[in-house]
Amino acid sequence: MRNRGLGFKLILFTLSGTTAVFLSAFLYFYMSAKDVVKRYVVRAAQHLTHATAYQIESMLRGVEKVPTNYAALLSAGNYEAEDIATLPERMVSANPEIYGAAVAFEPGAMTAGNHYFAPYCYRKADGCLANVMLGHESYHYFTMDWYQIPKELNRAAWTEPYYDEGGGNMIMASYSVPFYKERQGEKRFQGVVGTDIALFGLQEIVSSIRLYKSGYAFLISRNGVFITHPDSSLIMTNSIFSIADEENSSLLRSIGKDMIRGGEQMVALQSGLLLTSKCLLYYAPLSSIGWSLGIVVSEDELYESVHQLGRAVILIGLSGVFLMTIIVMVIARHITKPLKDLSATTVEIARGNLNAALPDIHRDDEIGILARSFEEMRLALKEYIKNLTATTAAKERIESELKIARNIQMSFLPKAFPPLPGKKSMEIAARLEPAREIGGDLYDYSLIDRNHLFFAVGDVSDKGIPAALFMAVTKTLLKGIAETGMDPSEILRRCNVELCGENDSMMFVTVFCAILDLRTGRLKYSNAGHEHPIIIRRGALPEYLQVPDGFFLGVEEESRYQTMETQLRPGDKLIVYTDGVTEAMNAAGELYSHANLMKTILSCSSLSVEEIAAEILGSVKQYSSGVSQADDITVLAVSLTGT
Amino acid sequence: MELNGYKQEKYFIVKAGGRMDAISAPEFEKSCLEWIQQGETALVVDLGGLEYMSSAGLRSILVVGKKLKSIGGSLSFSSLTPNVAHVFSISSFGTLFPVYDTLEKALGN
Repeated sequence: MRNRGLGFKLILFTLSGTTAVFLSAFLYFYMSAKDVVKRYVVRAAQHLTHATAYQIESMLRGVEKVPTNYAALLSAGNYEAEDIATLPERMVSANPEIYGAAVAFEPGAMTAGNHYFAPYCYRKADGCLANVMLGHESYHYFTMDWYQIPKELNRAAWTEPYYDEGGGNMIMASYSVPFYKERQGEKRFQGVVGTDIALFGLQEIVSSIRLYKSGYAFLISRNGVFITHPDSSLIMTNSIFSIADEENSSLLRSIGKDMIRGGEQMVALQSGLLLTSKCLLYYAPLSSIGWSLGIVVSEDELYESVHQLGRAVILIGLSGVFLMTIIVMVIARHITKPLKDLSATTVEIARGNLNAALPDIHRDDEIGILARSFEEMRLALKEYIKNLTATTAAKERIESELKIARNIQMSFLPKAFPPLPGKKSMEIAARLEPAREIGGDLYDYSLIDRNHLFFAVGDVSDKGIPAALFMAVTKTLLKGIAETGMDPSEILRRCNVELCGENDSMMFVTVFCAILDLRTGRLKYSNAGHEHPIIIRRGALPEYLQVPDGFFLGVEEESRYQTMETQLRPGDKLIVYTDGVTEAMNAAGELYSHANLMKTILSCSSLSVEEIAAEILGSVKQYSSGVSQADDITVLAVSLTGT
Repeated sequence: MELNGYKQEKYFIVKAGGRMDAISAPEFEKSCLEWIQQGETALVVDLGGLEYMSSAGLRSILVVGKKLKSIGGSLSFSSLTPNVAHVFSISSFGTLFPVYDTLEKALGN
């Protein structure tokens, strides 16, 4: 799914979920409701059918009693023809349901010689009774159903319903009961008491059955012929089988067969001639007469209430879903709007604009917390950057100050090698490699007069600008005092007194200073806590120069110093250095040490002072490569060349 | 640099080990001055574990020494390693402060 935003996803999933749940619930309810209704209808139809069947059968049973009783009488007693003749009228007049009654005898059974004897009484259209004698050539009643069937079956029987053409075009059915004469222990068939029953009472019962709007009941005879049906055109003209043929429905055909057989059940039918819509048919038998009663109900009408309910529920559901959509949209918006604002601002901040103000979100939930945290972070970031900027600026200032200090330092050091024009009797070389944080090393040399070279090397105890300034002061003092022609020890003593004067910070400086008489080669020197210089006498190995003890300059005002002397011969070299050389560290944390220095000097002792100084410096640098320089490195080499 | 101080009889012993250079010397100076502030006046600094001392270390020692001198206290050293002894001799610190071979000897005084 493309990036459609939180809101969209929220709405989509919430709605899908709730709609799915609602639909499943609804479908379940709908199916269940239909099922319940159907079962109810089956029960109701069952009851109705049974009740109606019972009603019809009661009625028929009542009717059956009349001929049955008369037949019993006739079987029992003796009778004359005149008595018999009156019987039909009696039957008809006493029983309104009986439309016609006859007592028909076997040929010659009543009176010998009489082929036919069948008095018959019937109701006319006007209600009067008429008596006739049945039986002549055109009415051979012996073969008629109403006579023959009871005779053959030896029991009472109903005929198929028929239209009475003679009477008022009613549907009739005849019920005939056989009677017998017992002679010599043998029962002999005598005749039949037949009654014609008009079925319209029955029809009324059945047609009054109405179910919902279009539901109805119908009766079919033993042969499946419709006895009653709301569509009167079907009555007596069609049977359930003819309809089945018309619809080409084998289902209907088998139903018909089952109905005639006396079956009972509920079936579902498609729309057809029975009903114009899908329907349910319940049928049950009227066993005594061999007919079947069917009740048809339209499914749609049946489920109408369920459908109505369903429609209402769907409507409620849809409006509910719609309402939910609105609510979810509102909520989603409630969540995503501040998030959108927040994310827009954070994009801005991420670009580097720390001044982008975060939207004002006064909420106590996660979004509010997020917004507030973000704001705090923004401010903290701003503060941090401000501090960083200030620190960096300060650092840069210090860097530049260090540069200045270095420049001060370097500017004070004489650089000219060979420095001294016209003096070929000695050579001097010096190297000073300042550390990053100025270590305060110093060296100096100058001719204090035509024949005397003054040189000194010193190391201030502190680092940075204070050291550089102290170094400058010391150097100036040394030179100034040296120029007055004093001995080295006196130079140191006086310098010390000056330095001690205003030295609250307890800075001290080590110094080795010497004065070389260029004519004689006599070297006078003094030491204030400085590293012992190394002397290479011509033809001999390098060794440490013996120096007098002397305390650092700048600490004890009363410090005393001594001057020592030694004789330099042409070819002799003196190397003065600071502890930046011997205390240079390599990557393993080991010091260059005096041993290495001696070794290096040994290897280049025959070279010129310039080369020796360069060699020592190169060796130290190589040794400590990779490690940042901790202290200033100073080497000063003097050699007497002279004649 | 490892640094601890503890009282023993009338002396306050400061044990320093490792390296005393421009990075660790200020810590030494600060701690000693604090102890002095707390009332200690007779400090014995045992450098038995100290392998290296730079000029920054010497400076810190001077500051402490000067402070003690100003209040009439004393500062002495013991158990110097060869490296540190060399530094002390060059700088003539030995003439300014008493140096002993062992802590016992320092305390004996």
